[in-house]
Amino acid sequence: VSLTLTYFPVRGRAEVIRVMLKDQGAEFDEKVITMEMWKESTLKASCVSNPLFGQLPIFEDGDLTLYQTNAIRRHLARKLGLYGKDQREAALIDMMDEAIQDLLNKYVKLMFEKDDSGKEGYLKALPTDLKPFEKTLSGDKGSFLVGDKISLADYALVILLIHHQVLSPPCLHAFPSLQSYLKRLCARPNLHAYFHSDDFKNRPIIPGKRT
Amino acid sequence: FDCYHMKYFELLFTTGRCGAMRIMMADQGQEWKEIVVDFADWMKGDLKATCVFGQLPKLEDGGFALYQSNAILRHLGRNHDAYGKDGKEAALIDMMCDGVEDLRLKYVKMIYQEYDTGKDVYIKDLPNHLDKFEAVMAKNKTGFLVGDKPSFADYSLFEVLLNHLVLCSSCLDTFPSLKSFVEKMSARPKIKTFLDSEAYKKLPINGNGKQ
Repeated sequence: VSLTLTYFPVRGRAEVIRVMLKDQGAEFDEKVITMEMWKESTLKASCVSNPLFGQLPIFEDGDLTLYQTNAIRRHLARKLGLYGKDQREAALIDMMDEAIQDLLNKYVKLMFEKDDSGKEGYLKALPTDLKPFEKTLSGDKGSFLVGDKISLADYALVILLIHHQVLSPPCLHAFPSLQSYLKRLCARPNLHAYFHSDDFKNRPIIPGKRT
Repeated sequence: FDCYHMKYFELLFTTGRCGAMRIMMADQGQEWKEIVVDFADWMKGDLKATCVFGQLPKLEDGGFALYQSNAILRHLGRNHDAYGKDGKEAALIDMMCDGVEDLRLKYVKMIYQEYDTGKDVYIKDLPNHLDKFEAVMAKNKTGFLVGDKPSFADYSLFEVLLNHLVLCSSCLDTFPSLKSFVEKMSARPKIKTFLDSEAYKKLPINGNGKQ
């Protein structure tokens, strides 16, 4: 069964999907939509009129076509066994993931601001957002956010931490558990290869602008 | 489990982030106990410090504490067979719920940040967001977003539409499937009882009193 991801030629919201699939060794095709193609509006219109929300990414799994990044991620997590070992773990994974999405939304808002004026305030507030994850990962439990296997939420956190280090290299200095978590996850063979690939490195975080 | 416990603010973020889960539990005949947290007590910080992300709502299911409203909704969905009959339906339900969440975020932003200046524009723009749900509801023909029984996405959509009807009582007039959906959901016996209850009626929708 073929998997196809359709998105802009950026990391953006789809990168976490790529990271998950790459780590799991799941093959997938990519359809790249440039901004020019998108603005031509026939694809956008078809997103609007048939499925739903006039947005990318689109993900095809055989005859199932999905929109909404997080719905796509959850579908793949269920398919690939990345959603915990039982309902309780699934609920905790959802909880972690929602909090990661909250931070991601703040980050995205900052990235799309017209200038750098919000950056200082953002970085000042960042430790408060990172603390719960640091706490979760510290102590004797800590390999992954939930349970003893990588999950949906871990992929989201890994890429978010990587992008925050681009924004501000010292941002994890006060968070030893997050640092070691990031190091450990990035050392996973498929992720190590992917993060060092030109494919990943040459893809801008967001369209055009600053990282 | 026999009974959930919920902690929530009395005045802040009231029905808004808890509304859908209350309606769902009511409809599913799931008893729950509500613990209302006084804002002054919250600001003392002791309870806040015990919450993983420093936020409410919190759902206690047996000895298991869960935070993040959408994680709670999904957990309830799993527990009450309200997450579709298979993986495909689950993915579509996720997609719908994410779409509802996008609308809820816009609504909340208008309510808390732009009510006086932005309310009219918001109402004018609303059809551009509701039409997607109308299309899905009309296509599915069962009276639910996905499949032939209510999912957590339906409860979430229902709740957000109820709030929008308070904002603008005519907002569903051009959306017959959504209008019928709200009528049918409201008429479900346990939901009707809940919506008619003092408990429901006395809670303001939003923490700032705007609606």
